[in-house]
Amino acid sequence: MLACLCTVLWHLPAVPALNRTGDPGPGPSIQKTYDLTRYLEHQLRSLAGTYLNYLGPPFNEPDFNPPRLGAETLPRATVNLEVWRSLNDKLRLTQNYEAYSHLLCHLRGLNRQAAAAELRRSLAHFCTSLQGLLGSIAGVMAALGYPLPQPLPGTEPTWAPGPAHSDFLQKMDDFWLLKELQTWLWRSAKDFNRLKKKMQPPAAAVTLHLGTHGF
Amino acid sequence: MAPMAVFQTSFLLALLPLSAHQSEVSSEPLSLNVSISSAQQRLHLKWSVHNLTHPELKMAFQIEISRINKSNVIWVENYSTTVQQNQTLHWTWESELPLECATHFVRIWGKEDDAWAPHQRVWSSWSSWVKVDAQSLLGQGPPLVFPIDKLVEEGSNVTVCYVSRHSQSNVSCLLHGQRIPREQLDTHVSVFTLTNVSFISTWGSNFYCENDPDIIAGAEPGTVLFVSKVLEEPKGFSCETRDFRTLNCTWDPRSDTDLPKYRSQRYALFESFSGKTKSCEQKNWCTWQVAQDSQMYNFTLIAENYFRKRSVNLLFNLAHRVHPMTPFNVLFESVSTANATMTWKVHSLGNFSTFLCQVELHGEGRAIQQHNASSQVDGQYFFSGLAPATEYAARVRCAAKHFWKWSEWAGQNFSTLQAAPSKAPDVWRSVRSTLGSCNVTLFWKPLSKSQAHGEVLFYNVATEFLGRPSSSKLFSIPAPATGTELSLDGCSHKIRVTASNSAGTSPASVMAIRDPGNPEVKEERIQGTEDGVSMSWKPPPGDVIGYVVDWCDGPQESSCDLQWENLGPNATSTIISSDAFRPGVRYNFRIYGISPESTAYLLERKTGYSQELAPANNPRVNISNLTQHSFTLSWEDYATDSQPGFIQGYRIYLRSKAEQCPPEFTKADLPDNSEGCKHDIDNPEQKTFVVENLQPESFYEFLVTPRTRAGEGPAHPFGKVTTREQHAHALIRTILPMVFLLLLLTVLCYVKSQWMKETCYPDIPDPYKSSVLSLLKPKENAHLTIMSAHDCIPDKLEVVNKPEGIKAQFPGARKSLAETDRTKHDYIYLLPTEKSSVGPGPGICFENLTYNQAAPDAGFCGPVPAPHTAPPGMGGLLTAPGNLLRSLEPSYMNSSGETPAGETTLNYVSQVASPTSGHKDSPPTNSLELAPRSEYRMQMAIPPGLASPSPNENSSLSSMSFLGPGEHRG
Repeated sequence: MLACLCTVLWHLPAVPALNRTGDPGPGPSIQKTYDLTRYLEHQLRSLAGTYLNYLGPPFNEPDFNPPRLGAETLPRATVNLEVWRSLNDKLRLTQNYEAYSHLLCHLRGLNRQAAAAELRRSLAHFCTSLQGLLGSIAGVMAALGYPLPQPLPGTEPTWAPGPAHSDFLQKMDDFWLLKELQTWLWRSAKDFNRLKKKMQPPAAAVTLHLGTHGF
Repeated sequence: MAPMAVFQTSFLLALLPLSAHQSEVSSEPLSLNVSISSAQQRLHLKWSVHNLTHPELKMAFQIEISRINKSNVIWVENYSTTVQQNQTLHWTWESELPLECATHFVRIWGKEDDAWAPHQRVWSSWSSWVKVDAQSLLGQGPPLVFPIDKLVEEGSNVTVCYVSRHSQSNVSCLLHGQRIPREQLDTHVSVFTLTNVSFISTWGSNFYCENDPDIIAGAEPGTVLFVSKVLEEPKGFSCETRDFRTLNCTWDPRSDTDLPKYRSQRYALFESFSGKTKSCEQKNWCTWQVAQDSQMYNFTLIAENYFRKRSVNLLFNLAHRVHPMTPFNVLFESVSTANATMTWKVHSLGNFSTFLCQVELHGEGRAIQQHNASSQVDGQYFFSGLAPATEYAARVRCAAKHFWKWSEWAGQNFSTLQAAPSKAPDVWRSVRSTLGSCNVTLFWKPLSKSQAHGEVLFYNVATEFLGRPSSSKLFSIPAPATGTELSLDGCSHKIRVTASNSAGTSPASVMAIRDPGNPEVKEERIQGTEDGVSMSWKPPPGDVIGYVVDWCDGPQESSCDLQWENLGPNATSTIISSDAFRPGVRYNFRIYGISPESTAYLLERKTGYSQELAPANNPRVNISNLTQHSFTLSWEDYATDSQPGFIQGYRIYLRSKAEQCPPEFTKADLPDNSEGCKHDIDNPEQKTFVVENLQPESFYEFLVTPRTRAGEGPAHPFGKVTTREQHAHALIRTILPMVFLLLLLTVLCYVKSQWMKETCYPDIPDPYKSSVLSLLKPKENAHLTIMSAHDCIPDKLEVVNKPEGIKAQFPGARKSLAETDRTKHDYIYLLPTEKSSVGPGPGICFENLTYNQAAPDAGFCGPVPAPHTAPPGMGGLLTAPGNLLRSLEPSYMNSSGETPAGETTLNYVSQVASPTSGHKDSPPTNSLELAPRSEYRMQMAIPPGLASPSPNENSSLSSMSFLGPGEHRG
């Protein structure tokens, strides 16, 4: 028994995970990005509640689930599970980056329309946080050696007042913007959690079984 | 922006199909063209009249509008106008139902309406129906709700329709969460009437539909109604100018919806004389440039929003609406001790150079002067009657000649110059003469601000000996001293006191001092009132120029704080009040008359309280002369003069069990609400009282409490006393001699103790020495003698197993018991030789109590020798088990059937004469051996099965040991 323990201890320095030194890699920045998505999720919950109350019923009703009308320009967060699993790291990060670039642009348009000063302040604060998330994702991509996606000519996200939208459809768009943003943040948390686990080297697990024989 | 786009789109789209339906009915008298304004829900009709008979003709038209089908006419409009050749006529109709909700049909006809052409007064033929089908423009797209984003006025009714692709639509629609009843207009259209809509939010109220499968295909399932509040008439519309260049008009706009999407209500000024209009940028004020040649203005303020227009008028002369600007450059000139001149400037108003100004003078925080003054551009005002050395604040405001509004105040502070004090200081004195010198203490009151006319710097005191006018002395005492002490040679002096400031010296206060002596003036008591302490005096026989009353505000001589009050020569009474007066404090007042020579002499003394209080403490009462029927109460040390009120007397309360009060007392309710007796003493100097006619040996409670005008002292503590017993003296007279005799006898017995012992209780009584015998001999019969053993002739001698060791039984009772059991009962029977009776006879039986258990067996002495019960004192010998046994003893006694000890016949027992006691010094054995014997008998008393366990194991064991088989015999 004692001999077995000594053998394990003798070989401990040879375990790679315990022997790592130098550059910590993209792990910490992925963790920070993950934390930021969770924080933004929390922040959005409060902001969306206030904004939807301004829109009035039915937009502030908890079971309001309208069809996704007129929100085709918004990046869609929902994706088939198998497709999501099969995404490689680069594509995963690129989709996140592109989605938040678009959403941030729309969100700024929302801020310009908001009449209430308090709401404008909350939206501006959230936009700043979302800008931070974009930068964080860009940092992760740079750490992993992926280039930032270049916007195609003519597809650069810019906000403009929608074409002849009725007020009701405009409210619907606002609703969907907040909803997609919420879904994207939820998906990003999953994405970065997955990336985080993937980037973490397998930890050395030593299990000692001490028998009672001989005692 | 969005509604405009919708409007344009709808309008253009509407025109396209209409062109197909336009009826170029050249054959018809009228050609009609209809277009749609979707956002405004209006139909615009254009028509022209062919073949007019005259270049200009008055015509009447009738327009019919049908909905859904041509026969369903919903509107008929009669329209008259003058028509010219080739003129296109217009008329607009606004539909309460959005035009997209249903197809409309329009037609028109007309007739000439001129009076001079009566033959033409017949209607032409109808134009063809013009179909207005805005619904067909929607095509087969998703369902829609109309109107799109409509602005409505609060309180109005709005009709909303839902246009679906399906003929059967089960749609349900809500306005801001509230479900709206549905009407089916046709197979595809549902109509909802919203009545009396109210403002909810500037974000609009959402009207939306649900539960329609069409929605999933993508549609516009809702609309937003923006509700505007009803425009109100502006209030308080007013215009004025401050510089004759600009008019500033203000008003209260009242409620304003201020929708972000729509422009809020707008305001404009229209001036009718000039015909000019100006749109106002602000909601509550607007400016207007004054024209040089315009004096009169007629303004109309127009408020307008999408639904209403309101206006108010204002006509005025510009000169009557001048609001001058604040005066400036306010200064003071020629400021003296009592006067000052204020100057100011007013902003010029062109031709209007005369102003009405108002000046105010403030002193000590309040306005003391207010004047109106006419002023040019430069104004001034002269203030007079000012107090010297006083700070003032002056301010001015102006209005135009035609008063409209005062300008704002402009002010400045200034101070007048100092002047000499106007009044002599109020001086009083205290004089003490000792050994030819006179100590005078002077007191004076500081001059008031209005008298000092500036800061008093010092007081001058000049003394002059009355006998030598040239011998004057001058003392200068710096302020703020309020007195000084002078030591004068002799009391006959004249003293002058003045106060000085930087501007001069006040008049002098003069007083003559003389030796006060010791005037015999009796002190009188006075009473306080709510206003103060009231007093009066008799005028002296001589002339007086006034009176002075002085007193000490302080409670003690050391902290006197002398105060005085001057009174006129005619005064004979006054009420003295002071903030320093405290209830329950006695104050002494002296009233002086002032002679024409300014000499003060004491007239009267008064003493009193501003408010009397009840005594705070009761006197400490001593009891003396306590007898069977009386006792004396005394409280000599109670200080009458130091109480919080004049002591009027004392009240004695008495409380006892007796129902009747002593003769001097009356029944009363005591302060503690119990019943008792009271007696009042009206003389405050009587401090003893004898309570008489009391019951002997009775308990009394008493309370002595002083009385003032304000009430009695506290109701506690009651003293306690018990009157003496009635026969106590007799008993003492009897008991004391007896005690003395007893003591004497004891001493005598102690001295003669040896003789007493030998005589009364010898260790070994000798019958021959006994005096009893000698006493008996002469009296009793002669055959009585002392029996001697030698005289006995034994006929039988029986000695039964005499034990040897019977004496040694002290160490343990058990051992003796065991030995006792082994031993037969030893008796020495002395049997008479002569006939002996069977019953109890004169023979003497010496019984050894140790073995008296054998007596019943022997059946010898006495009728039935009963078992000896232990004397009461022997019960204590029982041990713990014995206690248990003692409780069982009665049952034992009853069950044994023996005769109770109390029924035992007399059986003379002489322990002394027991033959077993070998020597006289050995202790009697019977008492010691009774205990074990008792134990032994008690143990027998426990019936089988009753030997209950003792409370503890040890005692149980010990009990069992007592009941061992070896000891259970007998």
